[in-house]
Parts: sequence; structure tokens; C-alpha cells
Amino acid sequence: MSFDLGKISETLVTGKVDDLKTLTGQALETDIKPGDILNQGLLPGMDTVSQRWKAGDMFMPEVLRCAKAMGGAMEVLRPHLSESELGNAGTIVIGTVAGDLHDIGKDLAAMMFEGAGYNVINIGIDQPNEAFVKAVKEHKPNVLGMSALLTTTMPRMGEVINSLKEAGIRDQVAVILGGAPVTEEFAKEIGADLYAPNAGSAVEITKEYLESKV
Amino acid sequence: MTNRTNYTINESPHFEILSEDQKEKIFNGMMRTLQYTGANVHHEKARELFKKHGCKVDGVRVYFPPELILKALSTVPPVTEIFPWDGDESKKIVVEKNRSYFGPGPTPPNFIDTDTLERRPYLRKDASLVARVCDALPNMGYVQSLGSINDVTNGLADVYEFADMVRNTTTPIMSWSFTKDGCRDIHRMGIAMAGGEEEFRQRPNYIFYGEPISPLVSDYHAIDKCMYCAEHRIPQVYSPCAIGGGTVPATHAGQLVVALSESMVGVIATQLINPGTCVIIGGVQSILDMRFSIYSYGAPELSLLSAAHTEVVHYCGLPMYSTSGCTDTKKMDAQSAMEASLSINAAMMSGANFVHDNGYTESGITGDIFQTVMDDELISMARVIEKGIKIDPETLAVDVIDNVGSGGHYLYEDHTMNWFMEHWRPTLMDRNSYENWVEQGSKTMKDRIIEKTRDLIQNYEGPQNKVPAKASEEIEKILQEAEERIKKEGVAHE
Repeated sequence: MSFDLGKISETLVTGKVDDLKTLTGQALETDIKPGDILNQGLLPGMDTVSQRWKAGDMFMPEVLRCAKAMGGAMEVLRPHLSESELGNAGTIVIGTVAGDLHDIGKDLAAMMFEGAGYNVINIGIDQPNEAFVKAVKEHKPNVLGMSALLTTTMPRMGEVINSLKEAGIRDQVAVILGGAPVTEEFAKEIGADLYAPNAGSAVEITKEYLESKV
Repeated sequence: MTNRTNYTINESPHFEILSEDQKEKIFNGMMRTLQYTGANVHHEKARELFKKHGCKVDGVRVYFPPELILKALSTVPPVTEIFPWDGDESKKIVVEKNRSYFGPGPTPPNFIDTDTLERRPYLRKDASLVARVCDALPNMGYVQSLGSINDVTNGLADVYEFADMVRNTTTPIMSWSFTKDGCRDIHRMGIAMAGGEEEFRQRPNYIFYGEPISPLVSDYHAIDKCMYCAEHRIPQVYSPCAIGGGTVPATHAGQLVVALSESMVGVIATQLINPGTCVIIGGVQSILDMRFSIYSYGAPELSLLSAAHTEVVHYCGLPMYSTSGCTDTKKMDAQSAMEASLSINAAMMSGANFVHDNGYTESGITGDIFQTVMDDELISMARVIEKGIKIDPETLAVDVIDNVGSGGHYLYEDHTMNWFMEHWRPTLMDRNSYENWVEQGSKTMKDRIIEKTRDLIQNYEGPQNKVPAKASEEIEKILQEAEERIKKEGVAHE
């Protein structure tokens, strides 16, 4: 039975969540390897999305819809993928620091990472410093993302980095910061590795960084 | 014999986006949202208060019955007066329908340095500078700091800001704070400037600004400060920054419903705690730019949404906190002027009460006093339109027209002498001849704005020497105590 993986890419770009799930399920019933469905179907689709977003041909809700479709397809595909095929891009723990209930920016970033094939652990808003440390220990992510919208809560990010040092796990994880009042200088000052001025750029900045480390 | 029946006078222009029926639709949408969707209130005492007055409470979610909303709206004051601390009546603010006061905005992390013109973190010295420049600008009816101070003890930017600003301007300040502690410190300073607690109650001299989070969340500190201000009868703003397509629906009508609903939580709290205390709602109403993922401060939708929201808020019998004079551009240029002109005019025509963010650049990330100085001129231009045209025998001037006849001119006429001074005169706009313009240095608008701003910074003293010694001592004491508080308790977070 022949199956056109290009159709998976195309459907992903249209952001049709249910259609993509169905197609992914159909592909699994053929003799195509699950890894190929991911690498030759879904990921090229996400690449197209990311290129079109960068070129200004796609807008945020469209991109997020594609990310959601990707997430849906991954639910179907994940049980069939081997450990090595899974989470090629990496794992990210992401959350908003204590005292801050603002979540839209952080959630946007989480969806973008998900769409780019990352395994995302979103620990939520108003998270105490220990929750970040605990999540890093537990999930061993490549990246820890933190956000804040309030200038009062920004220092919490530095505290989390210090706690990671104290726990002896700072070197295991790249720290990326975001949030409207956060600047590149601030990120450097408190010893973060990366800074993203907006949710859209976070994935690319992370990807470049991780690739440079390989 | 000179009277006429059914004769209508337009005292000012009439500008309207929504009809009565459309406003009612938005209002009913708010009532429905608060009754059936409810709003999260992260404050146990506030939830208890709401529950006691008939709200259904489920976890942090509170559902407000329509009759409670209507009751709260029945006790909001129709007029509130706010007084400059030196008693100058010309700077008094009257909070009533369709009376507009423009000012800067609160808390961007960055500021355009007035010497280097470069963007850098906002510093303590900037708060005094902004206050002093705004004190001199005739069209700034109230003052905000244009930044959040970076170079004082973490958690005290709010208190230092007010302490410095209040001694550099008599124009009423709109303050903000991180927590109720800062709110209390600021209030003590307001009382010190008023000369006592009772004096403050009689003549409040500042307004407090707080905001809920869209969609439909009142976080602990927001509602905690709101309740404190209500208890102490401090005039206050309780309004969100609603992001169309992000934190509220992409449709303008849906945005107005959500924005009105989250503010109404604060209105209800204030009126339950202290009926008749002044509460102002509104906030920034604009869209999420889906291409660049920023909250646009220059979008034409900001003007449309803000004007429509003003109508809805006035329909509720409440004063409106609106937005204008701001831009998405990074540095003073044609874009900043274009965006500011449109929003200032729309805000003026809508009759919003407090119109903030005059001086915001980079989509609210950077404060720029040069932009404020430019906006001051734009506001004075919009005031000309606000004033409308007076029609009576003197202004119709048919006798003068008859006198001059056809041909000739009006320059010799007494009538011209009596009236030409009414024409608006620019302080920044260039109307020079080409030759004179070249002779005077071929200055662009940007050059003139910088020159005017720096002249004010260097030469305008402000009211520093008028501050009563006792009040100044008290302010220093409050600052010291605030330092001790932070040392002991740290930056509070619930």
C-alpha cells in the first residue's frame, strides 16, 4: 500500500487537527516506519510552517493551530516510536516564576516548542523556585525556560539559577528567559544562557544553541 | 422675540461609535459573563466579601449576580475632585463625564536617556525629571512616571517614585505599587502632602492605579490594593490591558465585554467596602499583532476600541481610563507622530476622563519624555477641535461682513482684533518661511522637541522649594521605614 508522506506535511501546514490525526493513523497501518512518518512527514511540515512564519506569510494563530495539529499527530505516533526516535529535538521544562500569574507568553512559547518536536513539560504559572529545580531533576531537560511579566518577580529567575547551582545541576541544562520586561542584559547579568525577545523566536534561538553544543 | 423653539446648540462636537442599543448589548454581555462564566479572585477575604453579598463561589472562581452589579453601579459617585497639593485651583481635576485629562503612563522598564537619546534602564533620577517636565507642560492634566525604577532596592521602585515625583510636581500623580505595603507607604506620603488624614479625605491629591489580568483574573495583590484604596477612599483605577486575539476575543465587541467584566470585579469590591468611593475603569484596549507578536500601541484599533470602551464605561456611569499618544516605533520619528496624532484626537473626541500612555514607545516597553512633549502639542491641537464652533450674532459677524463688503480685508477690523487671539498657536510646529527656517538652523521637528525638552529640564525648577519642610521630612522617614520593611520581610509575594 502506497502512502504519500507529503500529504501529511501538507495537512500539517493547513492546521487541520482532526485530519492530520486520521492521516497519521492511516500511515501507521501501512508498512511505513513510524520514524519516517515523523521525519519525512511531520517535521518537514513544521519546517515549512517555521519558514513561512519567518517570511511573514503565516500569522500566530495559524502557526499555533499547526503546532496543535502536530501535537495531536504525535499523540497517535508516540507509542510507536522508539526511545531514540522520540524527542530528537530535545526536552524543555517551562514555567512562570513565583508571584506571577501571567501566562500567555509562556504558553505561546510552550506551544511553539511542542510544534517544533520538543518534549515540553509546562509546569505552569506562579511556580516557586524549588518547583523548577525539582522538574529539572525529574525530567532532565536540555532546556529550562522561565518567564516573568512583573519587574518584581524577575529576580526570582536569578534565584532559580542559583538553586540549580546549589543542587549541582546547573551545567546539565541550558536556561532561556523570556517576558516583556526581561532584556538580554538582564539575562546575562543573572547567568542565563539564552534570551528570547518573543515566543516566536525562542525555538530558533534554542535550536541554534543546542546544535552549537553538539 | 429673539428666542426660538427647538433650536439646538452643539456646545462641542458629537462623536459616537456605539448606539444606546449597542452599548446595552455590551453591558448585558458583561452581566452574563460575570453571572455564568465568573471571574477568578485570588484573595480569600475578597471572595468572602463577595460570598456574603450573594455571589456563588467555587474555589477561586466567583459568580456575580446581576443585582449586585447594578447595586454597585448605583453608588459610584457622579463627580469626584482631585486637588493639587499646593491648592492651585487651575490644576484641580474634576472627574466627571466627558471631561478629559491627559498624562504619561506607568512602569515601562526602559527610558530614552535625555542626554544620549539612547534606550537604557529607567533610573530613579528619571522619575523627578518626568514629574518636573510634566509640571511645566500645560496639557498634562495628571502625571505618571513613564517607568519602573531599576536602581533602588528591589520592591521599592513604587515608593521612591512617588516620593520623588510628588516633590517635583503639583499636578496630581497617578501612582502604582507592587503590594499593599507600597500602597500604604504612598498613601502616608499623600497624607503628609495634604497635611493630615482628614485633609486628604476632603481634598485627595493623587489617584492610585491597579490592574486585573486578562482574561477575568484578579490576582492577590491587585484586589488587595483595590480594597485598601476603597477603605481609605483613595480615588483609584482598576483596569486591564486587554490583548485582542490573545487574552480577549479578536472581535472588538467580545473584547469590550471581557474588559468591562474584569474591571467590574474591582468596581463591585470598592462599592461593597466603601459605597461612593471613586473608581475608574477602562485600560489599554488594543490588539495582538499576529505577525510580530507584540501588543500594538500604535494600532488604529487602539483608538477605535478605546473610544467605544469610553462610551460603554460612561454608559455604566463610571469614569474612563483611556490610552493615547503612544507608539510601536523605537525612536522618535514620523511613525510616532502619526500614531500619537490619531489616538490623541480619538481619545479627546470620545471624552475619556484620564488618557494615559502619552510618552510610551516600543509598544509600552520604553518611556520617552520627548514623545510626551510632542504629545503635549498634539493634545493642545485636539483641544481646538474639542471646543467646537460658537454660533451667535457676535461670531456670525454679519455686520462686519457688510462693513467690509466684497474685496478688501478684515485685518483692520476691531472684530478681528477682538477674536484673532482665539486662534491656536503652535509651540513646536513649524510655520516659518523657508528663508527664516534656514536662517534659524533648518531645525526639524525632532530638533525642536529635543530643544524644548532640554530647555525645560535645565531651566524649569518645578515646585521643589514649595514643599513644606514637615512633609518632606515625613516622606524621608517613610522611605527609611520602607527600606527596613523590605530588609525584614523581603519582597512580598502571595
